[in-house]
Amino acid sequence: MESNKKYWKGLEELHNSKEFVEKNKGEFAETLPIEEVLSEAGLSTVTPRRDFLKALGFGLGAVTLAACNKAPVTKSIPYLVKPEEVVPGVANYYASTFNGHSVLVKTREGRPIKIEGNPNCLLSKGRLNARGQASVLDLYDVSKLKGPTYNGNLTAWDKLDQFVKGELNKIQAGGKKIRIVSSTINSPSTKAVIADFIGQYPNTKHVQVDAVSYTGIIKANENSFGKAVLPKYRFDKADLIVSFGADFLGTWISPIEFSRQYVSNRSYDALKNKKMSRHIQFEAGMSMTGTNADTRVPLKPSEEGIALINLYNALGGNLAGGKKLANNPNADTAITLVAKELMQAKGKALVVAGSNDVATQILVNAINSLLGSYGNTIDLDNASLQYAGNDAEFVEFINEMKRGEVDAVFFLNSNPAYDYVDSKEFTDALSKVALRVSFADRADETASLCQVIAPNHHYLESWGDANPIEGYYTITQPTISPINQTRSAEESLLTWSDNAVKDYYQYVQNNWTKNIFPKTGSSWKELLQKGSVSLTEKPAGSYTFTRELNGVAQTIVKRSEALAKGGDNSVELQVYESVALGDGKVANNPWLQEMPDPVSKVTWDNYIAIAPKYAEKLGLRETDLAEVKTDKYSVILPVLLQPGQAVGTVSIAVGYGRSKAGKAAVEVGKNAYPFISFNNGTFQNVTSASISKARGKYELAQTQTHHSIEGRNIIRETTLKEYLQDPYAGTGKGHEKKYDLWKTYEQPGHNWVMAIDLNACTGCGSCIVACNAENNIPVVGRDEVRRRREMHWIRIDRYYTFDEGGKKVTEEDEIKSLDNMDKVSVIHQPMMCQHCEHAPCETVCPVIATMHSSDGLNHMAYNRCIGTRYCANNCPYKVRRFNWFNYWNDSRFDNYMNNEFTQLVLNPDVISRSRGVMEKCSMCIQRIQSGKLNAKMEKRPLKDGDVKTACQQTCPTNAIIFGDANDPESEVSKALTSERTYYVLEEINTMPGVGYQTKVRNIVEA
Amino acid sequence: MSSHHESILREPLVTGENITYAQVTDDILVPVENKPNKAWWIGFIVSALGALLWVVSISYTFWFGIGAWGLNKTVGWAWDITGFVWWVGIGHAGTLISAVLLLFRQNWRNSINRSAEAMTIFAVICAATYIVAHMGRPWMAYWALPLPNQFGSLWVNFNSALVWDVFAISTYFSVSLLFWYTGLLPDIATIRDRATGLRRRIYSILSFGWNGSVKTWQRFELVCLILAGISTPLVLSVHTIVSMDFATSVIPGWHTTIFPPYFVAGAIFSGFAMVQTLMLVVRKVMGFENYITMFHIESMNKIIILTGSIVGVAYLTELFIAWYSGAEYEQYAFLNRVSGPYWWAYWIMMTCNVISPQLFWFKKIRTSIAASWILSIVVNIGMWFERFVIIVTSLHRDFLPSSWAMFYPTVIDVCVFIGSIGVFFTLFLLFLRVLPAIAIAEVKLLLKSSSDQAKQKLIREKAVKADHAEYYLESLSKFDSIPQENEYAKN
Repeated sequence: MESNKKYWKGLEELHNSKEFVEKNKGEFAETLPIEEVLSEAGLSTVTPRRDFLKALGFGLGAVTLAACNKAPVTKSIPYLVKPEEVVPGVANYYASTFNGHSVLVKTREGRPIKIEGNPNCLLSKGRLNARGQASVLDLYDVSKLKGPTYNGNLTAWDKLDQFVKGELNKIQAGGKKIRIVSSTINSPSTKAVIADFIGQYPNTKHVQVDAVSYTGIIKANENSFGKAVLPKYRFDKADLIVSFGADFLGTWISPIEFSRQYVSNRSYDALKNKKMSRHIQFEAGMSMTGTNADTRVPLKPSEEGIALINLYNALGGNLAGGKKLANNPNADTAITLVAKELMQAKGKALVVAGSNDVATQILVNAINSLLGSYGNTIDLDNASLQYAGNDAEFVEFINEMKRGEVDAVFFLNSNPAYDYVDSKEFTDALSKVALRVSFADRADETASLCQVIAPNHHYLESWGDANPIEGYYTITQPTISPINQTRSAEESLLTWSDNAVKDYYQYVQNNWTKNIFPKTGSSWKELLQKGSVSLTEKPAGSYTFTRELNGVAQTIVKRSEALAKGGDNSVELQVYESVALGDGKVANNPWLQEMPDPVSKVTWDNYIAIAPKYAEKLGLRETDLAEVKTDKYSVILPVLLQPGQAVGTVSIAVGYGRSKAGKAAVEVGKNAYPFISFNNGTFQNVTSASISKARGKYELAQTQTHHSIEGRNIIRETTLKEYLQDPYAGTGKGHEKKYDLWKTYEQPGHNWVMAIDLNACTGCGSCIVACNAENNIPVVGRDEVRRRREMHWIRIDRYYTFDEGGKKVTEEDEIKSLDNMDKVSVIHQPMMCQHCEHAPCETVCPVIATMHSSDGLNHMAYNRCIGTRYCANNCPYKVRRFNWFNYWNDSRFDNYMNNEFTQLVLNPDVISRSRGVMEKCSMCIQRIQSGKLNAKMEKRPLKDGDVKTACQQTCPTNAIIFGDANDPESEVSKALTSERTYYVLEEINTMPGVGYQTKVRNIVEA
Repeated sequence: MSSHHESILREPLVTGENITYAQVTDDILVPVENKPNKAWWIGFIVSALGALLWVVSISYTFWFGIGAWGLNKTVGWAWDITGFVWWVGIGHAGTLISAVLLLFRQNWRNSINRSAEAMTIFAVICAATYIVAHMGRPWMAYWALPLPNQFGSLWVNFNSALVWDVFAISTYFSVSLLFWYTGLLPDIATIRDRATGLRRRIYSILSFGWNGSVKTWQRFELVCLILAGISTPLVLSVHTIVSMDFATSVIPGWHTTIFPPYFVAGAIFSGFAMVQTLMLVVRKVMGFENYITMFHIESMNKIIILTGSIVGVAYLTELFIAWYSGAEYEQYAFLNRVSGPYWWAYWIMMTCNVISPQLFWFKKIRTSIAASWILSIVVNIGMWFERFVIIVTSLHRDFLPSSWAMFYPTVIDVCVFIGSIGVFFTLFLLFLRVLPAIAIAEVKLLLKSSSDQAKQKLIREKAVKADHAEYYLESLSKFDSIPQENEYAKN
């Protein structure tokens, strides 16, 4: 064949007609009508209707499509030089110290996002309380100062240093006094810095004062045993705990430590060994500790001292002043019985009192000495250094200022203008001081009275250390470069005192190398990894009380009489620390503000707690406002009817009414500090006041408004006696039969479940805040909580049960008709998504946005949710939360998520939900996922403990255990095999994945 | 013919003097072919303002989120689904009248079916707005439809009663619309034939080329019959499915097998009450007294007693079963309804739905226009409360007392509801202006003219026995308001 074979494209080409040849000459077969179109006639042709419509249609369509999606230009810039330890998407943990507790700080891409307990920590053993969990949010607080200020204006550090140094030298030359006022400092390095400062300016004195003071105990121990220390209490060694108003699980001295100790004697292991401690609480207001007591006796503050004298006498003492408590026969009998029990538990008993009265504490020491507690349940030799404030010294300091003897004062973590009993007295006195410097991170009540604010770092930005108990040292290391132009207070003091070492990091390291490592061993590097070092505990010595007590008894009797002065509308007022806010330093933390009070479930406010029957007598009702008045101060606050509150008393929490703490704290509650009185050398939290109804109504924002279980078996409890006879007691086991219409899901790999021990849960609420931090849960504010729209994925249900003649009264109608509401028992039940095997939510979702996973979880696909809320309606546990608004992009909810800067605290592993979608507990699925991935990377099967949910991890008492039910050896499997296990609402066959263990009360029948 | 027995002892369904086909057409088309009267304008302005309120409040909700309503973590549905069920229920009377009564040859329906069907359609539209508005993300509403999609294997959940609801409501709406429009065709053609200019063109398009031939009529009848057959089960199924939104849940007070029949009866009950409310006004304002007669009013009142009593029995049965079941949560749910914080809602419901319709046993009340109208409104209020009671009192106190909460409506809740009534009346009033409110063609069937003429002829020809003829004439004067004497006197 020839290679010039030709394919023809048409018959014309084949035939090669003349016409074809002609046409084929040009590029186009037919000439294009360009000329024609461009000629005038062409241009003036009318566009045909069809073409017009086509063009219009296309144009409109194209424009619409283009407008559908705005395509923002978002630049992401990678690390130019990637730091070796930072891998995007992988968290780094650094050991640091929160409030004396060694913690691990989780950082992602260089920003701290979560605080977790350090398992090495002697106090917390890896657990943390709500305030610790919330402390990370303070780092991103926008109310903080951006830099140092002089007379309210931002200034530069060198200018400030020049000024302060100049002033200090002048003052030093003038010979007047310099004072450093701080709350308790147990940091060895800070103490050394202050000592160095004093070395430079010998006129200086360091005054420590705590807003909520423990001076009484320290002085009492000095008086009784010659040791001015706060002892180390050993609740774990006590079989019988008797507390007079000490909220040791909630706020007293070292609650994380005490909670762990306390519960170790009451939960799984103890009960398995058929043992459980007994706890009796005498108190005025219902504290969180009171809610956990096996027996709780309401006792007025004025009766407390007498009761202690009676107890001392019943234990064999002989003190004048003891008498029958005429108005409280219940307490009288209780004291007699308690004395008997205490005698039996000698050596394993512990009596504590929350009072800051030296005399009262001396008497308590005497009682403990009679019981042989020293060396057993109280350890004076490994003292706690968590509080060292000296009230009298502070009062003396104010007098010094008043006399004009002080020329310079430095406030370090101290805010007397807010928390001193007489703010005006303090303010007036302070105005006589020439140089006023505050290290506060914001212009708070005191700092705003100072010329100079030298803002301190947040603890996550600074080096530091702590020595919370003798022989235990922890290190604070920064996890982020300072966000604002702040400087650690120590560095400021070093600079101002012209110290040789001005770099605080260097100073801390030197101090440790010189003073601590020689005692404890270890090295700097190791310390940074582990977070703490400790000496072996000294053996606890036994101490005997030998002092004369009659003077003490007299003081107590006198004080009691003063408190019970009587008169119209007279009440005994007790001010207390709330579990969430404590002394109020952290009042600007929205997580804590929205954390419901463990007892009252109130958020965003303090209130006057008053017994329901007593309120009725005074004509006060819920939502009423009332005025509480002493001769020097009065507040108007809403009334909260608190069952268990001693009749004739009211309680108000301190920590509220911060006027200058920032946005979240403003207009939240009223300040109750001025009710504190300075008496016998200490600040005392009880006083006599009068109460009257005030005008107006106020609705408190409570997350729970119904307080009784209505006889339902959702809470199952028993007594120790019954439990010992039958471990199944109270669970209602043994007569259930299971019929099932549904197919069971196959769970070939894992089956994630949870066990919650009602006997371990103290109701402290750490889990709520931990969950907030882990899962980016919005804070909705007071109004929305009032509308019952809080977003917490985990809540703690708290129910009251009343005892009337041995019968349990749980129904609202019956409770209303009770004459005596003093005998109230309380239970806390953590409640979150139960991850039901037969989940009612799953069947009703129209779009399958919530479905079951093969590893036992109930998933929620936010992106698929269209927000019909059917699932929430159909959830028997009411644990689903709906995004009513766009909380992260709605200026009305400017709590934390809405702020671009504060958003940095969000966990990047958890999406923030848009409005209109449902959310709920995911059992920290992001942690499960990362646990699985880690195991996979390490080429090993996932093992128990690899994955911990945020609530479980922080729980100070290990009440929440999470794990794989398919692994028979897992902690949770073992916990769920407990005879005490039951499931809430198991009768509707939802087959929950969360099992509860019955509450066991160690009740001794009288 | 003489062997043929003829029952004539019936009240005429159309009253008035000298009724002729032309007269009927003229009467019914008065509002369509003339400028609206003052009463219409007042009604329309008020309704339109209501509709505007709806637009504003719904826009507010869409802008800020469902949080604009008073719902909370415990009560996830309240006025929204109450409104939805209420509107769907109201729609039911229309379908019942147009379909079931057609199949049962209840000719009296012919004068009210058109408006009742229109009411159905507008009520379902209002109900549908609630479905979309109550969603957290209404822009994703189409996800509830089983559409083929590119989201992967995402599909709807056929276990969910809400999906059934989507089908039920959309089917219901489309069938109702079709039925209504089919019935309208001959009447639209009538308007077309009488109109001129643009109106003629519009109605010409709308009439789908109706030519009035025998074949057209035959097909028309057939289609109507088929649609009636399709619609009939819908009367039962739609509200059955709506009730399953509740009945298939686990919430005490919702989880009840009695719900389907109880809801259907309630729906017909409220639907007839709404028809009554509307028609009593329409007949007055539009001058339809001769077409919507006391006979109609009384008949509807009878249905209201019947369905009201069924509903009452259902209420009592629920209480009995709650007690008899021994189920703790169920018992509490009903105790709480009767005596809990929302006791007043329960007793409003009981009074309005069970007690007040019983007044219709008295003929005097049953035949009093004012009383019928007031009671019809009372029933509508009662039925709204029924849904409120079922939804809110069941939800607000369910299993765990810790989560018990109260529901308080916000201003927006109230505005959306009032607004939806405004939307409904706006649509209804517009309907009255552009389409015949009474089915002209069907009403004409009710006139006895041809049989009467035949009878007259027989009487004239003396083919009827004298006593028979006399009885007939007497009956006519007794029951018919048309003066016949002249006609017959001619002989």
